[in-house]
Amino acid sequence: MGSIVLAVMTGGLVAGVLMWLIRQRKVNAMARTLGDADRRIADLSADLGRQAARVETGMHEVAALETTVAQMRDAAADHLEVIEQLRTELQSATAAKEQWASRAGQIAEEAARLRGLALTFERWHEQMISLMEQNHDMHAKNQELQSIVRHVVIVSLNASIEAARAGTAGRGFAVVASEVRALAARSEELSKSYRNSLHLNDLTTTATFQDIQAGGKMITASLSSVEALASQFQHQLH
Amino acid sequence: MSKILVVDDSSTVRDEVAGFLKKHGLAVDTAVDGKDGLAKIKANPGVRLVISDVNMPNMDGLTMVEKVRGELGNKTVNVIMLTTESSPAMKDRGKAAGVKGWIVKPFKGDAVLETFKKLAS
Amino acid sequence: MIRSNAQDSFERIFRKAARTRLTRQPEDTCHISTAAEAGTLNGEDALILTISSIAFRLLLVLRFDDSDATRAYFTGEGTGRSFEEARLEIGNLCCGALNQELLQVFPDLGMSTPYVVSARCLPYLHVLKPGYVAAYAVTINDTVRVDATVCVCAHAPLDFVADVSDGVESGGELELF
Repeated sequence: MGSIVLAVMTGGLVAGVLMWLIRQRKVNAMARTLGDADRRIADLSADLGRQAARVETGMHEVAALETTVAQMRDAAADHLEVIEQLRTELQSATAAKEQWASRAGQIAEEAARLRGLALTFERWHEQMISLMEQNHDMHAKNQELQSIVRHVVIVSLNASIEAARAGTAGRGFAVVASEVRALAARSEELSKSYRNSLHLNDLTTTATFQDIQAGGKMITASLSSVEALASQFQHQLH
Repeated sequence: MSKILVVDDSSTVRDEVAGFLKKHGLAVDTAVDGKDGLAKIKANPGVRLVISDVNMPNMDGLTMVEKVRGELGNKTVNVIMLTTESSPAMKDRGKAAGVKGWIVKPFKGDAVLETFKKLAS
Repeated sequence: MIRSNAQDSFERIFRKAARTRLTRQPEDTCHISTAAEAGTLNGEDALILTISSIAFRLLLVLRFDDSDATRAYFTGEGTGRSFEEARLEIGNLCCGALNQELLQVFPDLGMSTPYVVSARCLPYLHVLKPGYVAAYAVTINDTVRVDATVCVCAHAPLDFVADVSDGVESGGELELF
């Protein structure tokens, strides 16, 4: 019986030791687990710390971005102002261009109207032709006068001859005849001088006539140039 | 009535140009100044080619063309100026009036005969 | 008022115009001398043409010798043209040539039609108060005689140089617009 008790006691002791060992082991495992947990907690705390730092950095960046956005918003506001100004200027430039186009149109119209000056030149031309015809007339009349004067000279010569034939009775007549011849000579002189005046007149009239004719063409041609330029300008501004 | 009209106050020029064209088988009428030319174009709407001087009494050539295009409303007849004038302003006036071409005298028939035939057809 | 540059230019322009337009064929000889007093020509008539510019006017006065040789030369062979008509056209051509050269310098020019006056008018040219007068005697083929006077009246000082090329421009080309 004693050995059984001993065995039981030993068994119990062993069991007890076993159970103590097992318990120790469990405690160690729990200690290890706790240790792990502690370490895990420490890691997580470190992570958390890092995340917090990151969050802080992120918040700084957000703040910086907000500042940038605010600046860009200000810049955009400035640009909008400039755009408004440009729009206003474009409007006034367009209005000005329309004004210029209208002005160019007026110039073209005026130049076209001035081409009607051709009518004025035609009028002067007709007046000059009329003057030339009068000159022609004066020449004809002067020539007739000259031939009459020559005729008078002949008649007076004949009269002197008749007077001489009539002797003393014809003396009074001879005096008259010679006076008539003197008058005829003066008329002839005057007529020659008048003919010279007519030639001078012809020259100045012809020269003036031609100046008006040529000058008129020059002016009309120049006005055509102006009109063409004004029309081109007007079309460009459209 | 002919398809070609030569307008010049100088009978020398009329004879020379019309004579040359007639010698090459073309039918040609003549006029002595712008007024006469205008009347003849009005009376002959079938005319295809007008060869005209610029400097003429009673009505100059360019005024005649302007009236042909304006008063007569004839936009189709071909007009060639044959003149001693060569100023650019005058040529501009011609262009604006619808003149087709410009020849500075003297007239050299052989050089322009083919073109004239084409314009008159 | 008309500077010597301008006077030389007018002379050169006239000489070229006379050489190219008074002659009928390019092979004709043309001799131009300055006549102090326009020579001994027959004929009652003188032909006048005017070129007008803004600053000046130029008168070209031509006297064609009323001789058989001159008449025959300008009327051509038996074409029935009258000498009087032929003269007008030659004058027109000659003045036209002056016009063309002057256009290189003065863009605004107009030309008149030719007009016939009595040669007895010519002594009165001075009444127009010209700033420049030059008289020439032109002889073609030794027998044909034409006297010419170039007379310029200017209202403002006239100074220019004309570049007159020696090449003969034949004219006659058709410029299509």
